[in-house]
Amino acid sequence: MAKKQSKKETKKQTKKEKIDKSKNLISLLKKHGAQVYEDLENGEFPKFSIPNRSISNIIYDKKLRQYVLGTNTSLRSSRNSSQLRSFTQLLWLAFFANKLTHEKKSSTLRDVYYSSQAFAVDFEDQGESDNIIVDLEAVLSQPREDFYVFPEERSSIFGDLTIEYTIPGYEGKTQNLSSHPDGYAIGPSMTSAELVDTSAELVIAIEKGGLFTRFVEEQVDKKFKSIIINTGGQAPRSTRTLLKRLHDEMGLPVVILTDGDVYGEHIAMVIKSGSANAAHLKGLTVPDAKWMGVWATDIDKFKLPTIPMTESDIKRCYDLLKDPRYQEGLWKRELEVFIKIKRKAELEAFSKYGLNNITEKYLPKKLEESKSF
Amino acid sequence: MSSNEQFNQISPSEFFYRNRDLAGFSNPTRSLYTAVREFVENSLDACDHSGILPNIHMTIKAVDPEKPDPKQYILTVKDNGPGIPSKHVPLAFGTVLYGSKFGLKQARGMFGLGATMAILYGQITTNKSVKVKSNADGKTRFDFEMLLDIQKNKPVIVKKQETPSSEKGLSVSICLDGDYSKAGTKIRDYVYQTSLITPYATISFDDPKGEKFHHKAIIRSMPPAPTIIAPHPYGIDVETIRRMLVDTHYQIPNVDDKMIEKVRKELGMSKKKFTYDEIMKKTEKKWKSLSRPVRVVISLMSFLEADFEKLQRIRIEDVDLRNNKLVYWDYSTSQTLVAEMDIESHYYKQLANTVQGESLTHFLSKRFQRVGPTAALEFCKFAKFKPETRVGNMTDQELVKLSDALQTYEGFRSPDPTCLAPLGDGPLEKGIERRFEPDFMAVVQRTASAYSGFPFVIEMGIAYGGKIETRGTTVYRFANRIPLLYDEGSDVVLKVVKDTDWNRYKVKNDSAPMIIVSHICSTRVPYKTVGKENVADRPEIEKELRLALQFLSRKLSGYMSKKGQAEMAKKRANLYSKYLPLVAQFCTELSGNKKEPNYKEMIKEETALNNSDGTLEEVKKNG
Repeated sequence: MAKKQSKKETKKQTKKEKIDKSKNLISLLKKHGAQVYEDLENGEFPKFSIPNRSISNIIYDKKLRQYVLGTNTSLRSSRNSSQLRSFTQLLWLAFFANKLTHEKKSSTLRDVYYSSQAFAVDFEDQGESDNIIVDLEAVLSQPREDFYVFPEERSSIFGDLTIEYTIPGYEGKTQNLSSHPDGYAIGPSMTSAELVDTSAELVIAIEKGGLFTRFVEEQVDKKFKSIIINTGGQAPRSTRTLLKRLHDEMGLPVVILTDGDVYGEHIAMVIKSGSANAAHLKGLTVPDAKWMGVWATDIDKFKLPTIPMTESDIKRCYDLLKDPRYQEGLWKRELEVFIKIKRKAELEAFSKYGLNNITEKYLPKKLEESKSF
Repeated sequence: MSSNEQFNQISPSEFFYRNRDLAGFSNPTRSLYTAVREFVENSLDACDHSGILPNIHMTIKAVDPEKPDPKQYILTVKDNGPGIPSKHVPLAFGTVLYGSKFGLKQARGMFGLGATMAILYGQITTNKSVKVKSNADGKTRFDFEMLLDIQKNKPVIVKKQETPSSEKGLSVSICLDGDYSKAGTKIRDYVYQTSLITPYATISFDDPKGEKFHHKAIIRSMPPAPTIIAPHPYGIDVETIRRMLVDTHYQIPNVDDKMIEKVRKELGMSKKKFTYDEIMKKTEKKWKSLSRPVRVVISLMSFLEADFEKLQRIRIEDVDLRNNKLVYWDYSTSQTLVAEMDIESHYYKQLANTVQGESLTHFLSKRFQRVGPTAALEFCKFAKFKPETRVGNMTDQELVKLSDALQTYEGFRSPDPTCLAPLGDGPLEKGIERRFEPDFMAVVQRTASAYSGFPFVIEMGIAYGGKIETRGTTVYRFANRIPLLYDEGSDVVLKVVKDTDWNRYKVKNDSAPMIIVSHICSTRVPYKTVGKENVADRPEIEKELRLALQFLSRKLSGYMSKKGQAEMAKKRANLYSKYLPLVAQFCTELSGNKKEPNYKEMIKEETALNNSDGTLEEVKKNG
């Protein structure tokens, strides 16, 4: 009971935080707008200072256990004719983000690209508009989801978790995420919802949709008191945000289950400590998340059928060996074993020993193991 | 070969009759085009050489317009040239290999052969006579109708008639099998391009479909006419040198102790000292028994009035037959002296026969163009020949060595281009300007160069934009003022243009409205085929073409970057007028203001400033 009480308190706090966050964002946007206005009024060319996102300015912060941007910034000035266009695009996006946040309307990267066309602000292609979105993220140090721009890719969630929607039209409505066996898409409404209650004691993130379905069928949620999340490969940022919230707000440990290859290992790493691409953002990582498998050492241990690594797989291994996060412990050890055996195993490989082998044999064993590291 | 094989000589007419496709008369399409060319070029050559501004009128008429091609056409070319004296007309048009064009100077045609070929072709295909009207003196016009006797290579006059007329000129009319529907494009191109490279000529053409093309002369002055000149050392081979030496086979012997000893011996003089008179007396008696070198030495002594002692003190420099002077160097007084020669004396004859065996330096500087005494000495040093080497005495190996060295030595000045008739950069520029009205143009005339002994000059023009309608680079090729229209793929000019990296010159090669006019002038253009359609890639010519094109491309590049800068500045101005209002709009809404900020002044300033500013930015970027 005491536990629940504390959870509710946290919840209230987060609700307040959320509103503040939204207000903060709006005032930040307004501040930038006012600065531009003032410059023009004074006959000066307005400019934005944007944290430099080039590789030379990305450094690994050992304390935060993620990549962060260094102190280098670049100036985007409307004075410079070659920057005028992208300056205008950036200002437009700030204007557009302001509108979205006010109206609480979600949009996607592609939406943004098309919306621009209503304002005579032309983007050559979506790549260009995507870049400007990342620029604004860097200027505001806020992820795009905060200004209601969501990724297209959807991953899904299943388990005993009750949420309360905050999006217009659904405010106050609650939903338990174990009522639909296919799981629930992690979209804008999910990301912005309040996390009300759960009986789960664990979050299992799985790389693959097929296994996610198997886990639901095998009632892993009940057997292991867990919330199951399908990351659909590399976890989208909204999913990472949700994982972080489940961990921070609900106090749930997060474990990650991926294919037994170098990409799987890195999927786990990104959930744990972020990606270089999002070095300008904080709050997307779950530093306490644990990679449960499939490890390179599991391949031999569980006698899994394997396929040989491709040349690009091997190259990826060597690339990651240079990454500061792979310099010690489990991460380094597994990577080196991959390089040694030059073979990989997929999650489905367990099916060789029966369809439920993974949930009945492997999962309990690894969960037990994971408690110790 | 069997023993009863017949050996017959065939006449030149017969030879060309059997090999007519060599000369471009392979089919009705090609033949009609070739015939047009031959007559027009003859007319232009004739006018050029007599300094008359050409006015050429050509008509092609179908004998029966209703018939499908190929059919019979009547081709008439009329000019205002010097005409041909009536006594030469039958031979000029009725004999193959009869002409006025044999010599070392530039002309469109080489031997006036093509016109006769065209007449021959007309006669073969239609069995009709050629009609020639010639007025050479401005008083009487002679009208001829002739046929060719192919086997005898002789004209047969069918009809001849005289009319008083004051209009000088020549008109030739033949009937031939042709295909205008196929050849028409080429013929019209030919006429157009000819007018481009001959801007001082008026050329009109009435085609069989009733269309009239009239290209009026753009300039009223002609480029200087070519002259016949001595060969250039770069263009010489062993055979040519040998021919030049034919009459210089003997030489004046060196007078040394040995030589004097020989003279004494032959004269039968044992005493040490002899007076001049004593020597001459002895000579009179013994002349017939004397050897040639001794005779020469004594001949010299006779004019110098020298005894042996004096003879040893001097060196003969020149036996100047034209002025009957003997030029020699006196060591004792260190000066050049001159002795008169009596042309009646037999000693003179002896020397005259000998002198042409000049010293090498003398030979080079007198017999070649562009070689002076200094250059000749320098060359001898380079080729490791003694300057005083007598050419008449050179061995075959030495001649080969000489010939090779002449071509490898780089110190000679470029060949004298006076035997060439380039158009000149002025007329070329005017021609291009009038025909294309381009935004940019540049022309260059390279200095003369030579390949295998033949001097040549490259003229080139480049034009961009304006009324040029073609996209991509169009190359107009000319050689000796003849447009080259067929077989362009294998031409050296095209090769050079293709090899150029146009991006370097800020030109988009495939879409640029650009033309290149290339003109090669030479006493002999190295055509790849007899049809005179493409120029072979001699390295010397390729190099000159490349240099000319590079020069022009650099100029074009300058224009393009200026144009680029202007466009950039304009773009910048547009940029500010486009984006600043948007910036104002967005920041007004974002900041929650009601009124837009006052930014209009900024656009004005920027637009006014951007000219200099844009350039600066550009420089910075490139730097």
